[in-house]
Amino acid sequence: MNDLELIASSAVRLSLPLAFAAAGEYVAERAGTLNISVEAMMLGGAFCAVTGASITGSASLGLLAGIAAGLLVAFVHGTFSHRLAVNTYVVGLTLNVLVLGLTSFLAESAKATGHQVDVLRIPLLADVPTLGPVLFAHRWPAFLLVGIVPLVWWLVHRSRWGLEIRASGESPQSADVSGIDVNRRRRQALLVCGLLAGLGGAYLAVGEVGSFNQDMTAGRGYIVIAAVIFGGWTLRGTLAGCLLFGATDALRLALPALGYALNPQLLISAPYLLALIAMLVFAKSRQGPAALGTPFIRGIT
Amino acid sequence: MRSSSTAGAAADSAVAPAVEMQGITKGFGRVVACDRVELSVGRGEIHGLLGQNGAGKSTLMKILLGLVMPDAGRILVNGNPTAITDPLIAAKAGIAMVHQHFSLVPALRVWENVTLGERGRVDREQARRLVREVGERYGLEVDPDTKVADLSTGQRQRVEIIKCLRRDPALLILDEPTSMLTLAESRELFTVLRRAVQDEDKTIILISHKLDEIVHATDRVTIMRGGAVVARRETAQTDVRELAREMVGRELSKWTAATAVGTMDALVTPAAASSSSEGEVRLRITDAHANAPDGRPLLRGLSLEVRAGEILGLAGVEGNGQTAVGDLLSSLLELDRGSVEVCGGAVSAGRPGAMHAAGVGVVPEDRHVSGCVLDMSVAENLVLADLGQVSGRGFVSPRRLRAHAERLIGEFDIAVPSPDTPMRLLSGGNQQKVVLARELAAQPKVLVVAQPTRGLDVGAIEYLTERVYRAAENGIAVLLISTELEEILTLAHRVAVIHRGAVIGEMSRADVDVERLGLMMGGQAA
Amino acid sequence: MNRFSTLGLYAASLGGALLIVAGLVTASGYSAWDTLVALYQGSLQGGASIGLTIDEAAPLLLVAVGSIICTQAGIFNIGQEGQLAVGAMTGAAIALYCPGPGPAVLILALLGAAAGGAAWAGIAGLLYYWRRVDVVICSLLLVFVAMQLLSFAVNRSYLLQENAVPGQVMIPESDLLPLNERLPRLGSYPGLNVGTGVFVALALTALVALALRYGRWGFRLRMLGLNPIAARRAGVRAALLGTGAVVLSGAFAGLAGGVMLTGSSYRIQDGFADNVGWEGLLVALMARNRPVLAVPVALFFGALRAGGGFLASTGVPRYLVSIVTALLVLAAVFPVAFQEARRFQRGRATARAAALEGVAS
Repeated sequence: MNDLELIASSAVRLSLPLAFAAAGEYVAERAGTLNISVEAMMLGGAFCAVTGASITGSASLGLLAGIAAGLLVAFVHGTFSHRLAVNTYVVGLTLNVLVLGLTSFLAESAKATGHQVDVLRIPLLADVPTLGPVLFAHRWPAFLLVGIVPLVWWLVHRSRWGLEIRASGESPQSADVSGIDVNRRRRQALLVCGLLAGLGGAYLAVGEVGSFNQDMTAGRGYIVIAAVIFGGWTLRGTLAGCLLFGATDALRLALPALGYALNPQLLISAPYLLALIAMLVFAKSRQGPAALGTPFIRGIT
Repeated sequence: MRSSSTAGAAADSAVAPAVEMQGITKGFGRVVACDRVELSVGRGEIHGLLGQNGAGKSTLMKILLGLVMPDAGRILVNGNPTAITDPLIAAKAGIAMVHQHFSLVPALRVWENVTLGERGRVDREQARRLVREVGERYGLEVDPDTKVADLSTGQRQRVEIIKCLRRDPALLILDEPTSMLTLAESRELFTVLRRAVQDEDKTIILISHKLDEIVHATDRVTIMRGGAVVARRETAQTDVRELAREMVGRELSKWTAATAVGTMDALVTPAAASSSSEGEVRLRITDAHANAPDGRPLLRGLSLEVRAGEILGLAGVEGNGQTAVGDLLSSLLELDRGSVEVCGGAVSAGRPGAMHAAGVGVVPEDRHVSGCVLDMSVAENLVLADLGQVSGRGFVSPRRLRAHAERLIGEFDIAVPSPDTPMRLLSGGNQQKVVLARELAAQPKVLVVAQPTRGLDVGAIEYLTERVYRAAENGIAVLLISTELEEILTLAHRVAVIHRGAVIGEMSRADVDVERLGLMMGGQAA
Repeated sequence: MNRFSTLGLYAASLGGALLIVAGLVTASGYSAWDTLVALYQGSLQGGASIGLTIDEAAPLLLVAVGSIICTQAGIFNIGQEGQLAVGAMTGAAIALYCPGPGPAVLILALLGAAAGGAAWAGIAGLLYYWRRVDVVICSLLLVFVAMQLLSFAVNRSYLLQENAVPGQVMIPESDLLPLNERLPRLGSYPGLNVGTGVFVALALTALVALALRYGRWGFRLRMLGLNPIAARRAGVRAALLGTGAVVLSGAFAGLAGGVMLTGSSYRIQDGFADNVGWEGLLVALMARNRPVLAVPVALFFGALRAGGGFLASTGVPRYLVSIVTALLVLAAVFPVAFQEARRFQRGRATARAAALEGVAS
């Protein structure tokens, strides 16, 4: 492998966990929830995946445990912010603090043994020079994305549920008049987000790394939020954002070894800066869901 | 579904009306919105429902749609008594209403909006085809793939209608469908409706206050006033003049008679009117043009003058630009063209606080939305814009705030346990008194009062009416914006009529001719 | 009766949260009682512990009060964590590079910290003012940029990194502040001793409480937050006042960073903010946006932080403190939200029942 291949394959690897979670965050934001707790979902997913794998002895079952953790966080978030109408940012923030504390506490109290899912090399394709190792040789859950991404797109843009999700995020009052239970749809979208973000975190833990360490997501959830904003609330753009942010991360890790000096702090903050710039650009065209982050309470217009 | 119900009542479906409402009565608290209303709408006709604001038209239709439950009366659909306790039951009975832009999501495409709220799989091709089909059938052409946000107001209305027609209802209700449409768009709409009735055997109820619409588009018309049906006519056998008289009432209504106690009779004399028209011009709006953020025109060349000591009543049917006039004089609306002068000096429109500083006091129409802060105390609400008079060096003096509040509470007879009571706990009448007291305490040169008595009981109405009259007597120029004609006729020295964002006619109180006023409010130049 | 059930709900909610914590501790093989004792010893037993609690509470209080200002105007700034870091950086730069008599530099550093936080929040404020960019998202994203900015500065010897000592590995932190540029402490170890930062925090809290309650500015701010339309009608320049509130809340967060810098850590390093920004937000939330109430809540959170440091001695991971904090916040917001939601549902149910009755009769 030459340097470029190395960087490219590490860029793809680093963007994979982001892509899972970003697909979920995309659904949640389309429904009108700016879901900050995606960080907690990922971290919880990572921790439970390792613990689950350690208990059952199977990394694949660990993935399921990770998904369950993401769903649990989503359920709590949805109950507080779309049933009890507590400010969604406050709930998200609190959940992030809680899950970070919980996972750190538990990780220190009980050591889990390492487990990792297997690498899957797609026959023939993986042998293609350059592209092969970059795209076609990964831990097997990575290839789930091949199904998940089109499915999420179909769900949001072609299914009745997705239509109602988008209506809830754009214009909850109109959706309500049309007979849609806005808050229920938002809770469901959060659950989808929890499922995918939990899977993303689990993939990071039992896929890429093979173990859990304290605060192992290290703000990846926020990068996911930045990716959705950077992508202008389109699925394609969101995934492009994940790839770009994965690449900046790969560059940060690879450049010093290759003898180049590029400011690591700039590279780490690149996702956030790019998202900020994207927000400025989109501010005029009003790209995001119109009701993003605003709670829906019947009768208040 | 429709065919089966017709088959069931095959014998009498030829004679039974599509919908019959018998003895419908509905009260909200002490207000009777519908009083033993009888309405009969025949199959395959466009039935006009004419009346001013608050005549009970909307409540009646909400009852028919299952959104409001009547206190008494029954509804027959195709001759069968039907208990419509739920919007779903109304939908099953084939009754549907075209909403006023409330049910469209601007970011979604037309076909998506049309299919929103249905159940089952989303079939894009079928939905698009249906939009086109329904569009062609009724002449409501609109591209199914356009985003609703990119459509004009008229086109959006088409989408609302398509959304409704798609469910193939037997009875279609349209509530003031043309209030936001251009003339050409309105004409088109009525062509469509006529086609639906002739070709598809649909029945349509058209709620309107516009006389020419009623005359041109309907087959029969029912006229409501004060919650009761006052007349039924075959449209062909009536004309706008008769309709105007029926809508407004032949004489001033019992409301005025009941509240015009003692002083009030003496107040409303032509003498008072003529004497005040000599005062200096305090407020002059010249050729005001303004648009809403979404590009909808709000004011189209509105001009008016109010003199010191006179009350100018701005009459007109709701939605013709009254809110914009109120906003303009509260510095909330910028003008694209035209000017506002207060006491001879130009005031820049839209600059926060400019109108207030120039001496314009405003009692807004939606007082609890924009006239006061419900979660602040009464004392605080009495000084919202004039903190200066109760504070020194950046701090509000609680003592002076309280003294100020107590003085006004006494002067305006506001029933409140303490100045510290939250505004939210006050009755509507007392809230309105607080707003009026605050605006008058600032000693304005011009006082704008919008819908001052809406939603108030008789006692509060009487009180406020008298206060406004006295303000004018003390030399303040008063602009009274109201959709209640009685209110304007009781108070105003001069009456101007606003229609589609412009003043289309003026007359002094002494020359008021109810028929002419009704015609102007209905958009007939007279 | 109603009041009683509210209290009961609160008790149940908080009790439930504590029960979860106790269960967690026990299940992990520690003694819940020992943990409680350790938390008590670290935060309340003896003058030194109480002093530590107060020291921890001061920056939390400052952040909370700043956040309250913003929330009163109806705007949500959640970027305090970053504003605090930028403020501390500015303060450190002034303290380390600005010549002059110690006390003067100290005051300058504190003012600079406030200015730094204000400037960082000002980015979000200005974008909101000009382009209506959402303050929440913007301030949140800026947190992570601020952290990298801090990391950048403490990794550059020409910026804030410590002066090289020959033969020693350079670590990403600044030099210690000169002794005469630190906030003086009252009392002495092991007796009760507190940094004077808390008095700054208390004084400002009192000032903000007064300004919000009696000031013309506070009056307008509350009006804007409670009813923006009425505020604009009354001549309030909404965009300007709102942006000002965002900037001011940033200044408070920056000052909190300044107090931490000059009052306890005396140097700045990577990860300086240490969640104080986030937790300050939670203090404001639990205090229901009342500055005076924020004082006891901040003290409580400060005690948890101080006790957390003492936990290590018992072997219980100090992360327990985050868990307790978060669970208590959720427990504190639950009762109100729950009752409101229930009242709303019940209201709808009775309206419907009444309507059906009307048809039947």
